[in-house]
Amino acid sequence: MSNYDIIRKKTIEFLKKARDAGCFKHILIPMEIPSKESFSYVLIKDESFLIDASPLPPVNPVQGAKVLSSLTRRGELTGKTAAVMRPCEIRAVIELGKLGQVKLENIVLISIDCPGLLPFSSYTADPEKGKARFEKVIGEWGNDSIRPVCMTCTHFADKAGDIHIGIIENNNDISVIPVNDRGKALLEQCVIPAGKDTGARETKIKKETDKRQENLNKSDDELKNSLQGLNNLDKMFADCIGCYNCMRACPICYCRLCYFNSENIRHEADEYIRRAEAKGSLRFPADTLLFHSGRMTHMSLSCVGCGACEDACPVSIPVARIFQFIARQNQALFAYTPGSDREENIPLVVYKESELEDFEDSH
Amino acid sequence: MNEEFTPKIVGFLCNWCSYAGADLAGVSRLQMPPSLRTIRVMCSSRVDPLFIIKALLYGADGVLIAGCHPGDCHYMKGNYYARRRFAMVKSLLEATGFEPERVQLSWVSASEGIRFKETIEEFTNKLRKLGRNKAAKKVFV
Repeated sequence: MSNYDIIRKKTIEFLKKARDAGCFKHILIPMEIPSKESFSYVLIKDESFLIDASPLPPVNPVQGAKVLSSLTRRGELTGKTAAVMRPCEIRAVIELGKLGQVKLENIVLISIDCPGLLPFSSYTADPEKGKARFEKVIGEWGNDSIRPVCMTCTHFADKAGDIHIGIIENNNDISVIPVNDRGKALLEQCVIPAGKDTGARETKIKKETDKRQENLNKSDDELKNSLQGLNNLDKMFADCIGCYNCMRACPICYCRLCYFNSENIRHEADEYIRRAEAKGSLRFPADTLLFHSGRMTHMSLSCVGCGACEDACPVSIPVARIFQFIARQNQALFAYTPGSDREENIPLVVYKESELEDFEDSH
Repeated sequence: MNEEFTPKIVGFLCNWCSYAGADLAGVSRLQMPPSLRTIRVMCSSRVDPLFIIKALLYGADGVLIAGCHPGDCHYMKGNYYARRRFAMVKSLLEATGFEPERVQLSWVSASEGIRFKETIEEFTNKLRKLGRNKAAKKVFV
């Protein structure tokens, strides 16, 4: 049996057991679509469907946080629902919870160690080959066939939810680790032995984290050079066709009426003529850089680097890497790690009386 | 040539302090360079980071955000929020190499007409040294 199938089988066994013991009623989990070409989230009520679930799909067309956001848009869930997702998705869920976009009551968040995702377009081109590639990714715990943004991710084993499923160094088994009191109580309720971090697991995570940190430093150095200055910025986003897919795929971009979809950026013809006159000439679609940099200011503090934007970009702009590069610097300003602590406020809604004096005019 | 160049500054002035400070500078007939285009906002925290980016991309040579001194905000804490947002935008401009010196956050109270005049003078001189904002003539921005 392949690694992928072992993880799948063991996770489903655990979910079944927990559900039978009454820990939750419904399960939100990825599942392969009938054509076997892609995956999708499904909300399972009937246990017979659980057998086809895929807790660790090779690709992720829709970010889980977006799914939970649409599920609880009109109010919290009645009856407990388990959501099985990758750490980056859970971290986005927690950010959306802070922003009032996901009602976290009655949701049991179950994160799972993530070896990385394959680029969506390369997977759908040949799903069979994609599956074989992903099997290797699990075996080697990430290799260069995963998305570039995953190669630089140091949060792949973050215990982000209430319960975490550990698969790193687990000898063909999974270990179910309670993350907080809620997770602990749930596991006790369904009489499932709580797993914990073994030494081997921790060593492997440390080794992998170091490797990915190295990748990250390298990627940052490259970006620093290719992003600095107007000419470079221009070159970076030159292929942008203005489809706004990156914005739509982004879990953090939740605004129902986005500035960039509003009438505020649709002007009278005279306005464009006036701008063309001032500049000498004006490119269309206009305001490409405004869109991307505007989005950076609006969502970068909560950006978890899930890479959904890059998967959604039809012209292969490395949006996720660019946004993560900016996001990490903005987050460092406030020592903030999005999705790590449910109680910690998003930096822009709190303040300290004495801080950031360097940014003020020294007059 | 640079001596003659008067930069265009988009200034977001808070209604309660800096706008009144600017008014005081005016009625006191203090002389200052004609570089400021004032936009009155009810609070410095009304300034969406996007306003700053938009002004720069549309060709403003500088963007000034001026509000009440910390602790003196008419709405108690608006300027603290404004400072956090400003820091974030400046960090973004730094990361993208978009001349972060073109943006400034100043505290000017309603009684500080002279301070307002000096702020405008200093910022204008700084921008003169920096030269024109190249985004103003860039077709693909």
